[in-house]
Amino acid sequence: MSAAHWFGPVLDRRNLLKLAAAAAAGLPQTVLRAQSEAPGCAPAIPQNHAPSNGGNCPYPIPWLDKNGNHNQSPMPNVELSNIYHFKGRLARCNGFHGMGTDSHGNRLAWGTPTTDYSYMAGEYWAARQPHQAIFAHT
Amino acid sequence: MAPIPTSGLMFSADGKMATLQASDIPIIDQPRWPAMDAETTPAFLSFKLVFKSTDEPVKYENPMQQYRFEGFKATAQLEATIRVPAIGFTFKTDPLEQSSCDFAVMGIEVNGRYYEAGKD
Repeated sequence: MSAAHWFGPVLDRRNLLKLAAAAAAGLPQTVLRAQSEAPGCAPAIPQNHAPSNGGNCPYPIPWLDKNGNHNQSPMPNVELSNIYHFKGRLARCNGFHGMGTDSHGNRLAWGTPTTDYSYMAGEYWAARQPHQAIFAHT
Repeated sequence: MAPIPTSGLMFSADGKMATLQASDIPIIDQPRWPAMDAETTPAFLSFKLVFKSTDEPVKYENPMQQYRFEGFKATAQLEATIRVPAIGFTFKTDPLEQSSCDFAVMGIEVNGRYYEAGKD
């Protein structure tokens, strides 16, 4: 789902609500500047006929991924994680309301029911081994 | 979903408050999304998000889908700045304290292969 209908229609001039959606869906390899480039997580090609263990990427939630989505809008009694085979700390929120100012001094409202943020910090299983990581959904 | 460095997520000593922070995440401005030929412009997102746990417990579990979340309802507040350098556009939200959200929870999740192992 869109992670990121971040700004409401009042910001149609640039329609910035698409920003985070594009960040989540269109730039899957983007990383924060504060960190080094993440290692590639595509499965390595086995040598000498060895079995493949898959890649280090986290598994998506199976029943969401089959529909082309990697998460769903947070609410009670739904899977809140974006990662399958995960255990750890998780927080999720959506439906922000607020105001802000653009570079021209215009006061604009931001936030929609799908303005959706989360963190997942803990262990996930991939390539037949556990991995420790922190992920954010914006 | 983006990996973040350890320094990007901080917890209070009692674990009831979490601060998620990141600077200049490369994103795109795509005003005509989801049109197939929608043009994109590089942009950057910086944000600070603070979760605060309440005392109201929640538990969401579905054995068929192999997930369990146990935690607490929470509040969440956000401040952010978006820059679109190519057009000289920025948007800055008001300070964190002036935002609110409709739904927030924080806690512990287990799913998939960890689901059965974590049962009481």
